[in-house]
Amino acid sequence: MAAVELIDVSIRDGNQSLWGAVGLDTARILSIAPVLDRVGFRALDYTSSTHMGVAVRHHAEDPWERIRLTRDAMPNTPLQFIGTGLRFISWELASPEFMQLVYDRLVANGISRFVVLEPMHDMHALLESARMIRRAGGTEIIAALTFTLSAVHDDEFYAALAERLSKSPNIDRLYIKDPSGLLTSERARVLIPAIRARIGSMALELHSHCTIGLSAQSYMVAAELGVSVLQTALGPLANGGSLPDAERVVANLRELGHTVDVDDRLLAASARYFALMARAESLPFGVPQDFDAAYLRHQLAGGVLTTTRRQLAELGLEHRFADVLREVVRVRAELGYPIMVTPFPQMVCSQALFNILSSDRYANVSDQIIRYALGKFGRPSAPIDAAVLKRILDRGRADEIRREPGPPDLDEQRRQFKPGISDEEFMLRATMPAQLVDAMVARGPAVRRYNPATRPILKLLSALREQEVKDLVVEKPGFRLALHRQVS
Amino acid sequence: MMLRRILIANRGEIALRVMRTCERLGIETVLAASDADLNSVPARRADRVIRLGPAAAAASYLSVDAVVGAARAAGADALHPGYGFLSENAELARACAAAGIIFIGPTPDQLLAVGDKLRARSHAIAAGLTVAPGGDVSNHEDAVKLAAQVGYPVLIKAVGGGGGRGMKRVAEPGGLSEALDLAISEAAAAFGDPRIYLERYVAAGRHVEVQILGDGHQVVHLGTRDCSIQRRYQKLIEEAPAPQLPEDVRVRMHEAAVSFGRHLSYRGLGTVELLYDVERENFYFLEMNARIQVEHPVTEAICGLDLVEQQIRVAEGRPLSFTQAEVHLTGHAIECRINAEDWSRDFRPSPGRVTRAIFAVGEGIRVDTHIESGADVPPYYDSLMAKVIARGSDRSQALGRLCGALERSQICGVTSTLQLQAALLRSPGFVAGGPTTDYFRTFLDSHQAAGHAG
Repeated sequence: MAAVELIDVSIRDGNQSLWGAVGLDTARILSIAPVLDRVGFRALDYTSSTHMGVAVRHHAEDPWERIRLTRDAMPNTPLQFIGTGLRFISWELASPEFMQLVYDRLVANGISRFVVLEPMHDMHALLESARMIRRAGGTEIIAALTFTLSAVHDDEFYAALAERLSKSPNIDRLYIKDPSGLLTSERARVLIPAIRARIGSMALELHSHCTIGLSAQSYMVAAELGVSVLQTALGPLANGGSLPDAERVVANLRELGHTVDVDDRLLAASARYFALMARAESLPFGVPQDFDAAYLRHQLAGGVLTTTRRQLAELGLEHRFADVLREVVRVRAELGYPIMVTPFPQMVCSQALFNILSSDRYANVSDQIIRYALGKFGRPSAPIDAAVLKRILDRGRADEIRREPGPPDLDEQRRQFKPGISDEEFMLRATMPAQLVDAMVARGPAVRRYNPATRPILKLLSALREQEVKDLVVEKPGFRLALHRQVS
Repeated sequence: MMLRRILIANRGEIALRVMRTCERLGIETVLAASDADLNSVPARRADRVIRLGPAAAAASYLSVDAVVGAARAAGADALHPGYGFLSENAELARACAAAGIIFIGPTPDQLLAVGDKLRARSHAIAAGLTVAPGGDVSNHEDAVKLAAQVGYPVLIKAVGGGGGRGMKRVAEPGGLSEALDLAISEAAAAFGDPRIYLERYVAAGRHVEVQILGDGHQVVHLGTRDCSIQRRYQKLIEEAPAPQLPEDVRVRMHEAAVSFGRHLSYRGLGTVELLYDVERENFYFLEMNARIQVEHPVTEAICGLDLVEQQIRVAEGRPLSFTQAEVHLTGHAIECRINAEDWSRDFRPSPGRVTRAIFAVGEGIRVDTHIESGADVPPYYDSLMAKVIARGSDRSQALGRLCGALERSQICGVTSTLQLQAALLRSPGFVAGGPTTDYFRTFLDSHQAAGHAG
């Protein structure tokens, strides 16, 4: 029986998978941070370049300030940043010097654990990111083995990849990252031992989404087979498209004889906090998911499926939905099995749609697909079908894109902004529209306190202040509140 | 060291106050309660309650053995002593250390350095602060000479006293000898230490104090508080920052307090009490309180920090997470204490059952209380029932809010100082700001003369 540790993903992946990355602001994070610090998590999946962008765009809050304040509020639990190593906040590719600055400042502001992730499993790009993070002072670098189902992604593929990564001095741990929730217990039973056998004593973690309800069980198999850390979420931020519920996982692990050293009282208190918040702010609760066999074939998450269906409906072609799904499977194979995580599902899906709408497959292709074919996203796991590759690149637009300048030089970028701003502000200005950063700066320091219990009353009070109300009566059993306007 | 379970060795509103922060931080609380407090609101709010002993404070809240025993039995990582009782007791701090329990407060040496008022005086001098003219007296002859030197009236203070306890004012040489004898015997009885010292009595003085916070290396101040509204040296109303203070005096007060803290390499929360001589625009070091103060909420209101959280962080061994430059003091806050006392009968305590307690809420209002309808005010301890704190962007807004809050509050079943406080807040001398420590006596005389009764 094993001693299993937990990593909580509520703030980053839970928030992203269930609340569109906009459900949490600085105050909502800070108000639970000291409690999370005492639960006994190995680390928190805390932020990403997407989350940092959302802080500015959606909340007019400084994401760097948020990192510093969180670090101060919970000094004992490592905070994790996840990024692809190619870009920061914007979709544009960033220069290596720019990325080095990003990592340097993340460490200086309080991030110590980093995920290196490359959906194509391009080793060179991955190890280069790890080297930069190490140079910045990152103390725990964990490489993702991004899991998918395809003709090329077999156990040997992952075992060989894991072995190579485990030999790098800049990779400290590995994790099976299953963003689409495709890992069944049966596959876990062969995949995990295959990987474990090739990585010596290096720690292996599991991160598997609940998308079709597989992870609750595969987590138990993983614990049995030498996965020492399971990534989970709290209360309403678990289940659905997110990760398994921490309290349930702990209960199940203990039932099976494993030990988990977390403070149960505080684990429950943290889950309760997020539940109260979800209720107070009308944010959805993650719910356990049904098994969906078709999903194993097309691997399109709910959001992309809904968007595709809506697009077809707008064109009056809803009846072609099944054809599009079939085409998705075919396009993905032709493109060398990109792993279906952002931005690839969107790219594959829109290509499938183009192919269905036109009599001639690949007559229309997006710039993103051209960039992909040109290798600007890295090298695909399997080669792109030669005929398809030729078809994509055999057009004038491909030449234009080929001639696009690379990412701008760091010094040149700096010169575009007024001197004297901090590195942190510079990185936001270099990657986001000026007016958004201006609004963030104008807003000043973020609010630091949030209490979900008082939210309904505060909302009522602010509504009363804004609206002309003569009488207000609230009644429930044993309670009557009556307010009557007095003319003064 | 991350604290996970704290024993609260106190009662009343401060016990609840500490619990609130612990809850927010995810720290389990164990309340050590005497028999008189086992059914109190704090006892119901705590995660766990442990019986400390009989109602009499000497056998419970004032017993080092009982308190440390409770902390051990509870398996607590740390002990929060609150204020009063054993909060500044070096023996408790030492006993905690011996038991492997973190005492949330200064080191035993620091407690000793400021607990002995004469020693505190000499530390203050060493740190470059001005003390009131005076000094220690070992016999009557010395006393007569010293009193003549500093000039009458003089104050006789107990070395082991503090917080206004054990002080006597002597107006003329004729009364000195008798007052000395009385003071020595009282000091011996009350503090177990007969030593006394003498200081000049400042006629037009204000009690201004500076909140400091240290981590053993860095010391910052969190601004001033004015606590001049006192009755027999017991504070009734406090506000932050101290109003009507020349800016250069305020700055010098801040500097003096920080110097004193640095001199001691102070760890934790502390208050440097100063006597501001309004006529001379000068101030003297009075004493230092090495604990959280009753009036800490007014400071929290203007600096935005949770002072109990800061105490816990320092106790965990963490350095201060901000510098002096990052401390921003904004707005104004006033606190008034509501006691279960009958002011018309010389403030006789009025223990009993509170049949109805309503405290107003509203913008800028904070109420720290352990009293609700049905709660008991036991006769064994001090009579503080609640602190009503109002914050505003300036003093007049804070005062307006506080008056409004008191108007909407109600306490039945016991006699309280609620109405008296409401009248005091509205009195011209208080409204004008910056009254001296003799103001309350003047106010009370005129209030009585105007025919008010309890």
